[in-house]
Amino acid sequence: MKKTLKSIIFLLIFLVLWNITFNILWLDKNSIQYFFKAKDNTFDVVYIGSSNAYAHFNTVLAYNKYGYTTGLLSTDLQPFSLTKYLIQEAKKHHQNAIYVVDFALAANDIKNFKEGDIRKTIDSMPFDEIRKNALNMALNQAKISKKNILNFYFPFTLYHNRWKEITINNFYREDLYKGYLFNESTIERKPQKYTPFTAEDELIDLAEINEKNLIDLLEYCKKEQIKVLFVLPSRSFSNDTYMKKTNMAIKIIKEKGFEVINFNNVKELNIDYNKDLYNSSHLNVYGSTKYTLYFAKYLKEHYSLPDHRKDSLYSSWNSEYERFKRDFKKLTKQDFTEVVNNYNYS
Amino acid sequence: MNLISLSFLIFCLITIFIYFLIPKKLQWIVLLISSTIFLFYNNFTVNTLIQAGIVLLTSYFFGILLDKYKNTKKSKIFLIIGISILLFLLIYLKYTNLFLTTFNHIFNLFNIPHQFKMQQHNSLIGISYYSLIMISYLVDIYRNASQAEKNIFKLALFWSYFPILTSGPFIRFKDMKYSLYAKHKFNYDNMCRGLVRILWGIFKLLVISERLGSYVNTVYSNVTTFNGFFIIIAMFFFTLQLYTNFSGSIDIIMGISEILGIELPENFSLPFFSKTITEFWRKWHITLGAWLKDYIFYPLLKSNMMQNLNKICKEKFGKKKGKKIPLYLSMFIMWLIIGIWHGGEYKYILASGIFQFIFILAEDLLEPISTKINNKLGINTKTFSYKLYQVIRTFTLFSFSMIFFRANSISHALSIIKNMFIWNPWIILDNSSLYTAGVDFLDFRVLIISLIVLFIVEFLSRNGDLRDKLFSQNIIFRWGVLFILIFAIIIFGCYGPSYNKTDFIYRQF
Repeated sequence: MKKTLKSIIFLLIFLVLWNITFNILWLDKNSIQYFFKAKDNTFDVVYIGSSNAYAHFNTVLAYNKYGYTTGLLSTDLQPFSLTKYLIQEAKKHHQNAIYVVDFALAANDIKNFKEGDIRKTIDSMPFDEIRKNALNMALNQAKISKKNILNFYFPFTLYHNRWKEITINNFYREDLYKGYLFNESTIERKPQKYTPFTAEDELIDLAEINEKNLIDLLEYCKKEQIKVLFVLPSRSFSNDTYMKKTNMAIKIIKEKGFEVINFNNVKELNIDYNKDLYNSSHLNVYGSTKYTLYFAKYLKEHYSLPDHRKDSLYSSWNSEYERFKRDFKKLTKQDFTEVVNNYNYS
Repeated sequence: MNLISLSFLIFCLITIFIYFLIPKKLQWIVLLISSTIFLFYNNFTVNTLIQAGIVLLTSYFFGILLDKYKNTKKSKIFLIIGISILLFLLIYLKYTNLFLTTFNHIFNLFNIPHQFKMQQHNSLIGISYYSLIMISYLVDIYRNASQAEKNIFKLALFWSYFPILTSGPFIRFKDMKYSLYAKHKFNYDNMCRGLVRILWGIFKLLVISERLGSYVNTVYSNVTTFNGFFIIIAMFFFTLQLYTNFSGSIDIIMGISEILGIELPENFSLPFFSKTITEFWRKWHITLGAWLKDYIFYPLLKSNMMQNLNKICKEKFGKKKGKKIPLYLSMFIMWLIIGIWHGGEYKYILASGIFQFIFILAEDLLEPISTKINNKLGINTKTFSYKLYQVIRTFTLFSFSMIFFRANSISHALSIIKNMFIWNPWIILDNSSLYTAGVDFLDFRVLIISLIVLFIVEFLSRNGDLRDKLFSQNIIFRWGVLFILIFAIIIFGCYGPSYNKTDFIYRQF
């Protein structure tokens, strides 16, 4: 009996240490990990997309302004075809949320994504049937060798090797700024050529697989009566064909009865493409402040979203906003409140 | 089935679970079924089935015949036939290409325009081990040292006991029959001890050997770029890789057997603390050395031919010198066989056979001269520094011979040696060069720390099993050590999709 008890205690300590170790060695902390660790029914808006989502939408600023919470399901180069599975997974935990889907990568063929891009999303999802389906779809469409399939179920065989890459980021809490990741650098340091977005009636067909994935997503949302708003972020699209394919995606989404906002055509945003981007695809903290102030207001006005600012259960959102303001000041020597007031959206 | 794989882990867990769950009298049957699965895993063909049939039936029937006709003239004939069949199969499956290469060289030498094509034979795993093990089984019956096993299935288990099929050690029927077929009760302490040994083996393999392998592979595949001190380091690293790979595999095998309650003979006894090559081979692959001494060297030395040679040499060269000639000749034959056993290529014969023979011969012949020089120079051979010099000398000589073992061919080995004599010691001193040969800065740090840990563990093991000392410590220290070992393997082990694992070096034999 004593020996059995000792074995059980040994095993428990091992599991605790294992958990701590892989929490550190795992992928760099991302918003999806935080999302699935959050309490159920605590997100009012679920924002899904690639890096544009976490770089553009300042969740703590939106909360500070309007009191609703936004959960980000967003990783760098997140394949658009995984959106349906992320919605399914999110729906399990946050039944009353509305969905914002960034479709900037809808025209990008999943075959162009590397295994690492797919892993960042899938390995951050909980182990369940939805994850299994997402994995099967990704493996089939991205033509990833089935030989590696075991590593998706036992990812530590891959991630144990990250001990060399451990940075301070691995020790951050997942809920830092509630998933938002800001960059204070501006395009002035790295000038980029800006190409305006092409007219919406200029169309090129999507690749068959992309069209199928998009329609599949739209039909699922329709069937499940999910409130989804599709957004195309303000960014510099240099590839003309890609813009025309994206226009085709816009057309398909609208035809299925869903609302689309192409922020490249929203002049009120006042995005300065030479100052508000930190690279060709992403808004810096100034651009994202403009974007958040505008879009957060739009969401508040068009959807019935609650205000939790007086609810002590949501106090961490306030503290994360304060942390963000402090860090912003440290990096830019500017007061964030003044920056917000200057934009004068609200 | 690889010793470090999920399939092997599951296979062992199922075997151990069933082994202790079923009635004890059936335990050996569980081992037989597991061993049969292991033997034919991914290699179940008519060809391998026939091979298994030949080995098992030959050993069984000739064993019975030897038992029946003990001490008669017939028994010698049965022994010769039995051994010949087993040897023929081994030679055909493993050494055909060695003969064909030799013939091709001879044809070239005499300008005969014919070349044999190399052949690929699909043999069962562990053929070099079980062939010699079954030969010793027949010889022991012939010598009255053991009795034949009447139950063919029990003999099949002795022949195919799965843990030893990958890397040995060599077992003998008379030592194994009681423990292999005995009833074993689950023993918690045995399980803990076995698991610790398995973990230590995995540490050696995944944390040390694989890293050493990355460095060695990079250097040996590009000796013109990585020359001089790169090669010298790679030469020592390969010896350490071979040791950690082989002894790590043996640790896993011993650990599994310990959990099952089956005792196997030790195969290593701190070889790198040896002061001579002779001593080194008494501590390295102990069971192979013991096998060859018992079944090749001593029978050869005592044979009529050698006794006659002994007489002739004594008459011609005097008593002292004369008796050495048959001894050296027997030693040469034994080392030649060791070389051939290691692989059907000339490089193995040279590295593990001829070189070792030359070293041992030189030690014996030069010993009086060396004693004289030491006495004249007043060198105290009892000091630590002198012993250290001897240990380093032995390690260097063995490592040098292993260049031929690791190289792709003898000509490749010669090119490695040629490139070794380039003076570039700064690669050790500058901050970057050393880390360009397949092992980066951080991996190098892990490697050095792991080798220091290995050295400390080996050093502390000189006076007995270190596990006894560990298990006598209080629980916090004991568990602390175990968790450090487990997490060192999990974090720093070279496994998973980002590594190209090198196979177990001794598995090929």
